[in-house]
Amino acid sequence: MILSRTAKESLKTALALVIAYAIALSMDWDRPYWAGFAVAFVSLSSIGQSLNKAALRMAGTLLAVPMAFLLLALFPQERWLFMLGLSLWVGFCTYMAGVAERQYFWICAGFICALICIDAGPGGVNAFDIAILRAQETGLGILVYSLVASLLWPVRSGQQLDASVQQYMAAEKAFYHATHDQLLGRASAADVQEKLEQGLQAQRQFAALLAAATADTFEVWESKQAWQAFQQQSAAVSRSLSLWRGSLAGLGEVEFRQVVPGLDQAGIKLEQRFSDIQAMLGDAAYAASLSPIELTVDREQARALPPFQQAELAAAAERWRELESGTRQLFQCVAALQGQIEAPEPPAAAPAGKRALVIDIERLGGAISVMAAMWIAYLAWIYVPDLPGGSSVVMMSAPLGMNLALMPQLPVIKMLKPLMLSVLAAGLIYIFIMPQLSTFLGLGLLLFIFTFAVTYLFAAPEQALGKAFGLVLFLAIASISNDQTYSFLVVSTNALVMPILVLILLIAEQIPRSPLPEKNFQRLLARYFRSSEALLAAIGRQATGSAPDRQYARHVYEIQTLPKKLRAWTRVMPPQLLPGGKPTAIADVVTDIEVLSLRLNDLMKADAQALPPPLIEAMAAEFRAWHQEILGIFRRLSKDPGAIDQSSFRAGLDRATVHMEDRIRQILDRPDRIRLNEEQGVDFLQLLAAYRGFAGALAEYAGSATAIDWPSWREERFA
Amino acid sequence: MNSMPHEFVLGGIYMPPLLVAALLGVVAAVATTRALNRYRLSRYFAYPPLVQLSLAVIYTVVIGTLFIKV
Repeated sequence: MILSRTAKESLKTALALVIAYAIALSMDWDRPYWAGFAVAFVSLSSIGQSLNKAALRMAGTLLAVPMAFLLLALFPQERWLFMLGLSLWVGFCTYMAGVAERQYFWICAGFICALICIDAGPGGVNAFDIAILRAQETGLGILVYSLVASLLWPVRSGQQLDASVQQYMAAEKAFYHATHDQLLGRASAADVQEKLEQGLQAQRQFAALLAAATADTFEVWESKQAWQAFQQQSAAVSRSLSLWRGSLAGLGEVEFRQVVPGLDQAGIKLEQRFSDIQAMLGDAAYAASLSPIELTVDREQARALPPFQQAELAAAAERWRELESGTRQLFQCVAALQGQIEAPEPPAAAPAGKRALVIDIERLGGAISVMAAMWIAYLAWIYVPDLPGGSSVVMMSAPLGMNLALMPQLPVIKMLKPLMLSVLAAGLIYIFIMPQLSTFLGLGLLLFIFTFAVTYLFAAPEQALGKAFGLVLFLAIASISNDQTYSFLVVSTNALVMPILVLILLIAEQIPRSPLPEKNFQRLLARYFRSSEALLAAIGRQATGSAPDRQYARHVYEIQTLPKKLRAWTRVMPPQLLPGGKPTAIADVVTDIEVLSLRLNDLMKADAQALPPPLIEAMAAEFRAWHQEILGIFRRLSKDPGAIDQSSFRAGLDRATVHMEDRIRQILDRPDRIRLNEEQGVDFLQLLAAYRGFAGALAEYAGSATAIDWPSWREERFA
Repeated sequence: MNSMPHEFVLGGIYMPPLLVAALLGVVAAVATTRALNRYRLSRYFAYPPLVQLSLAVIYTVVIGTLFIKV
């Protein structure tokens, strides 16, 4: 009989759980379900992924234990200060967990500390026993699962890594192809966005598998430096691809292909390079030659164009060359990885300058929400007589609150159904089946069947919540021990605790702001425009080489991170608020915001200092007027995202462009004309391209924003 | 005697009358807010979450006083 991969993984989890229980019970340890929890949570699709998660869980537990001792020692018999300290720690862990790297470590450090502290109580009499028991049972669960996963049908991530890296490179190639098609008018911006998303997803999957494969596959571990170099370089290529795509927004198809006649040929060669990289990754013996791909610009034709178009073309060509250079280095990384050439010298690390501390407002909001949930639960525990569940309401508010804070798009109410169904299933087994069992053989069989069924039926990643609730609530309600007792109250209390918890979390999610998608989207968009306004006002004021100003650093951080946060909210937007009930229009708005970010970045980098001062002085009035106009627009957009009308803005932009081009001609043609050397000419074109590109991106945004009915988004509604 | 608070029995499980009144109150509040959303009347409230909570409390008190006798 051939078992499916899902069946094998479910069998491994079920077997590990039964063994963990058998050891814990034979050692007469209290609360063996803690070992069961460890097995349930670290079981992932490959040994490496499981080992990494297990290490994070263990390390989180080892940090949570001394932290719990510290809090209990600092605030004995001081319930308010104790809770203040505990909630601040959990809030801090929630904030830190907002970074994808080591997220699970911070989650464990936060909620396990809360479990130990609340279980021991402010008196802390049993704190030491509880903390040690928790640590040793977590260690037991992890050890057992690791052994079972290593010995039984071991799945090493190295096998999946090969497929994943191929997929990643194929996605990058498809993304480049789509940008080329967009330039020729054969693909829409939405198609390119789709390819970009696929590329990003493949990149994330590759990163996760590389980390796992480094832990469980010797060949990958042995060449981990070469893999890291490949990862860094492929990320750089992805960035170059995004920048190249961003530079296309202001280009007309005709001009670019006329002025850069070899673009199609160069594009074919670049795609072939991606194919070569794929082939080399798949077969170490595959040999391909590497030669630079030239993108020649027809200078005569380019000079005939108006200055702004010249600038746009020069910027786009520069982006393309960066992309070509990036793929060439990526090719060398792969050749080094396959042992065909010596590893190229790694680029010199940038000097680690002083970095301003930037607080992420969204992550801070999540931390405040978790702290609010814990406080509401704590006050209810103290002031509501005979609150069902008592301390367990406070204990469970921490892990559930933390997970919700990390997934703010998930409505709390959606948790109620899986929670109640899990209680029902666990309750039925606890009441009707468990009392019939008298030996570990029967109990082990029950644990095995239940665990197998849950992990098998909820194997898909999007069903992770159902799997976690099903296993955890069953193990908690069954409360298996050597002196087993049965009480209907266990089930009824749990059945009451779940709605109470959901109610607490529903209140806490309103703190510090509304959880409604459209409100969050508008709030983030307003912040984006405020930061853009601040950065634009600061251009030129930032002295080079000085320590970064904290406010400036915050605005740069916002501009870099907000488009991604906005994108996350578009996926959960209620259909009744979207034109035609489809998310296309709002996705277009976010795409334009992403392009605007790239253009703003260009503007910040454009170096006016290198140009001759007389030229800057001669153009000062035009640049100042432009700045004032755009600052005013951002101010209006931060109050109303649909404040500008695309047609009038575009007409104004065209008028300003003509005026500026006339002015440039006047300056460059007059008798005492300013002479620019080649380098200054390139700088000047880059500066013009940055201004023009930025205004063009703003006009695109204005167009896509008109599709949204913003007044109805501002209306209040019930969640 | 009819106005005396009395517990609800469901399959041998005794439930306090306030719990039943609160459950019905929440259900009635959710139904009301759905209707208010449907007819775009919710835009007239400054802070809907508080309205929802208040409605649940009002319904619980009304149901508890008139029908369940908490």
